[in-house]
Amino acid sequence: MWSWDFAISILPQLLQAMIVTIEATIVGFVIAALLGLLWTLCKRSPFTPLRIAVNAFVEFIKSTPLLVQLYFIFFVFPAFGVSLSPFLAGVLGLGLHYSTYLTEVFRTGIDAIPKGQWEAGSALNFSRVKIWTQIIMPQAIPPIIPMLGNYFIVMFKETPLLSAISLVEMVQTAQMIGSASFRYVEAFTDVGIIFLVLSYPASLIVGVINKRIKQRFGQSI
Amino acid sequence: MNEHVAGEPLVKYRNIGKRFGATEVLSDINFDIYPGEKVAMIGPSGSGKTTLARMLMTLEKPSKGTIEVGGELLWHRNVNGRLMEANASHLRKVRGQIGMVFQHFNLFPHMTILRNIMEAQVHVLGRTKQEAKEQAVKLLEKVGLADKCNAYPAQLSGGQQQRVAMARALVMKPKIMLFDEVTSALDPELVGEVLEVIREIAEEEEMAMLLITHEMAFARDIADRVVFMAEGQIIEQGPPKQIFNQPKHQRTMNFLSRFSAQSQSV
Repeated sequence: MWSWDFAISILPQLLQAMIVTIEATIVGFVIAALLGLLWTLCKRSPFTPLRIAVNAFVEFIKSTPLLVQLYFIFFVFPAFGVSLSPFLAGVLGLGLHYSTYLTEVFRTGIDAIPKGQWEAGSALNFSRVKIWTQIIMPQAIPPIIPMLGNYFIVMFKETPLLSAISLVEMVQTAQMIGSASFRYVEAFTDVGIIFLVLSYPASLIVGVINKRIKQRFGQSI
Repeated sequence: MNEHVAGEPLVKYRNIGKRFGATEVLSDINFDIYPGEKVAMIGPSGSGKTTLARMLMTLEKPSKGTIEVGGELLWHRNVNGRLMEANASHLRKVRGQIGMVFQHFNLFPHMTILRNIMEAQVHVLGRTKQEAKEQAVKLLEKVGLADKCNAYPAQLSGGQQQRVAMARALVMKPKIMLFDEVTSALDPELVGEVLEVIREIAEEEEMAMLLITHEMAFARDIADRVVFMAEGQIIEQGPPKQIFNQPKHQRTMNFLSRFSAQSQSV
């Protein structure tokens, strides 16, 4: 049944699609990180209505399925005049969904900074913005890098969902190869192997970073 | 010591009260600090000394009353004769005259010693990096740590960290510097080096100092005035000799006798 020749012959096509998968992961992660940080800052705002609104929004996004959100962005937004390409809709949905997890990660990092650091910043008359950029964030980020790395890998493995809104990434490509040749086994086995070859070393790298950070900062969170 | 205690007070606490929930930690405090004056504040833990200093540093908000620094309201603005809460930019403006050294040093652990002292000069005072570095090195020499420029705080002993923290506050040239039990978190053998630096600062610098301390001998030595606080009130104040040798209040006597008994038993 299994044909080595076929499995190898479709690799170039799949690797081409892998680039789309990686691009979607990276862009999605950047969106998730930026939005996640924004939520974290909003949740600490002294302005109560903003805090309540952001908390409600984050909980809402977190408790609804990513697939539904993707459909909504891709199929419902055009009704309001916002038509996005599959890639744009996909990274937006992925980024938005995971921003609600990353906001928790940022919060953990920021909460771990002792109160004395804020007070020292204040006592030296740093502006609010400078306290964040010079004192708090440079200390809050390094310990959470492993957690961010793990979410990056999780997001990478979630990208096949984007095939549901017709983004031609790896799984969609395998699907097309399968339906054209009736050789699903080779196509999906290849995809599985490519994911494994990418995710496993990535998780090893995260492990190494985690160890380094533990050595440097005493303990990670 | 400094006898140029005259003219208008630099800091005026007026009818200051502070409560945390149902607990009243300060009640109706009226208290002045004059330019250049070195004031030592003593008293049992929980008497409100630290809260008083933290209010001046704008880390704690008074529940009632006003504080003036250099003739300007700190927590309030006077709008057509009515007191309004000050906004962030007003706080920043007035706060620039105040510096503080903390019990737990609070150095920035991700920066070298040099950068710890340069950072606020660059980002707050707008000095150039070169200028900030020169000033930082000068102050590190003063506290005897010029060789530690490139070390990180975690590589220093507690006493050294506290000396860096003093250099960091001093480089901003505040008009008044607050020392909040700066030797309390140190191992006993490291207390001396920190007190020595404070003594030097007190002798050389023009600025006023408010020193909250449990080091009675030290307070007697360097202060122009000693203030005794208990239960959120100023019980008595006066020249060190008077407070330590002829305290007027029973409470002060009790506190001081307990203290000397304790330090003898150690």
